[in-house]
Amino acid sequence: MNNSKSNASFGARLLSLIRNNTVPLMFLLICAVCIPVSGFSVGYLVNEIVTRMGRNTFLILCLLLPIMAGMGLNFAMTLGAMAGEIALIFVSDWQIWGIPGMVLAMIISVPISVLLGVFCGKILNMAKGREMITSYFISFFMNGVYQLVVLYMMGPIIPIKHANIRLPRGYGIRNSVDLINMRQCLDNLLAVKVGGVKIPVMTFVLIALLCLFIVWFRRTKLGQDMRAVGQDMDVARDAGINVDRTRIVSIVISTVLAGFGMIIYLQNMGNIATYSSHSQIGMFCIAALLVGGASVEKASIGNVFLGVIMFHTMFIVAPVAGTKLTGDSMIGEYFRVFASYAVITVALVMYETKKRKQKSHMGKMLEQAQKEGSEQ
Amino acid sequence: MKSKRSLFAKLIALAAVLAVAAVMFVIGRGHTVYFDSKAVEYEGKTYEPPYKVTVYVKGEQAAKLYDGERGMTTWIGQNLRVAFKIMQEKGGDETITEYGIKLPHGMDGIVINIPAYLAGLPEEAYLSEFVSLIAEEPVEDEEIVIDEFGMGLESVE
Repeated sequence: MNNSKSNASFGARLLSLIRNNTVPLMFLLICAVCIPVSGFSVGYLVNEIVTRMGRNTFLILCLLLPIMAGMGLNFAMTLGAMAGEIALIFVSDWQIWGIPGMVLAMIISVPISVLLGVFCGKILNMAKGREMITSYFISFFMNGVYQLVVLYMMGPIIPIKHANIRLPRGYGIRNSVDLINMRQCLDNLLAVKVGGVKIPVMTFVLIALLCLFIVWFRRTKLGQDMRAVGQDMDVARDAGINVDRTRIVSIVISTVLAGFGMIIYLQNMGNIATYSSHSQIGMFCIAALLVGGASVEKASIGNVFLGVIMFHTMFIVAPVAGTKLTGDSMIGEYFRVFASYAVITVALVMYETKKRKQKSHMGKMLEQAQKEGSEQ
Repeated sequence: MKSKRSLFAKLIALAAVLAVAAVMFVIGRGHTVYFDSKAVEYEGKTYEPPYKVTVYVKGEQAAKLYDGERGMTTWIGQNLRVAFKIMQEKGGDETITEYGIKLPHGMDGIVINIPAYLAGLPEEAYLSEFVSLIAEEPVEDEEIVIDEFGMGLESVE
């Protein structure tokens, strides 16, 4: 009797574990199938994953604070990415190379990110409860403004000196801006090779510092306020917390960090795709975070690392596995894009389902409590 | 009083960030440096290049130049540290000497004439701005693709 009870509870626990970790388990399964099919050596895979960790982790970490403040997944991190790109265009035109160029780009990106972050935060405060869809459309809207600035204002209004950056017509920025003199300057700083795998030590130091900052920030007064706002805005307001300001601060910090993250990302790539680098970055970062087991309302540093490893493993192996399985290389390409969007959809559906279940459970409990009260 | 102190701290932080930006602007300025091993005339006197000059930058060979040749390297900052390994005549001894050359902040491409520099001539004699002699061909404008929805509506020329 006891045994069957414990079996049942084990089954329930397993089911709940699977239900709570559907997305990471799904990706684990995909990776487990695709890795052997792809035929990549362990050394190659590890090298690629380490490179992509260095490139993407900082960007994904910037999503944690808005989640903590109850604003969900910040699709408007694209705004920070745009600020980073604009800063890099300036630095590239001024011919500031290497680490000083990166530092200068980061400094220049801060005021732009703060401005965009405040703007975004204010709009999100007007759309409480619908932050994610609003931030998604803010990123589309701001992409138009970015194009206006980069395509028409850079040259005639904002001085751009070098012809290799400017479009041949004399104004606007080219499709691609070369960052050859900045390429992997951070990754190569103090880099070490372990068993053929290049470890970008300095990039990981920066990521570690950001992790420490997040851990420290959670314990500060502002961090506690953010958590309180994230749990219940009304209760937080009653407790004397300036809810709107706290939410704006979380978006501003996220946008500034996204700007830094984009600069780290682009120094690794070695060039800026002026009109497209930022457009997909939010989507891929959010997908990676969700793959790591985060949800719309809860995310940790662990989710970031797990997500970046699994998501990018899938990104590396899927095209080759797709080619080997179907004979068409595009299948793998389509698959990884499909998987990125699908994972976000699944996570959002699960979040809504969970929220509704919780609501109905609360309703039932309330009903039962009322019944018990009336019986007494 | 507290708000005054806070404002003061913010101003100090802002000034520090601006100072860092200014320092980065100066120390991070990149230059493409061209070394010419060509005869140069200055104030009526001709300075002939050595038979062979090997240029080392950051301990690595950047160029090996014979009479009339040009080499190139890149450098970040305004103090170029360079070593010239000079062979005056064919089959002769080679001497290596390290030099520090001041580069002007405003120039992207800088040409340094080695014979003039080695002769100790003033900056105007050994340093000039690089100007590309290849005339730019009229290029068709790049097509900027900003159409996210694949509807073919937003390509800008």
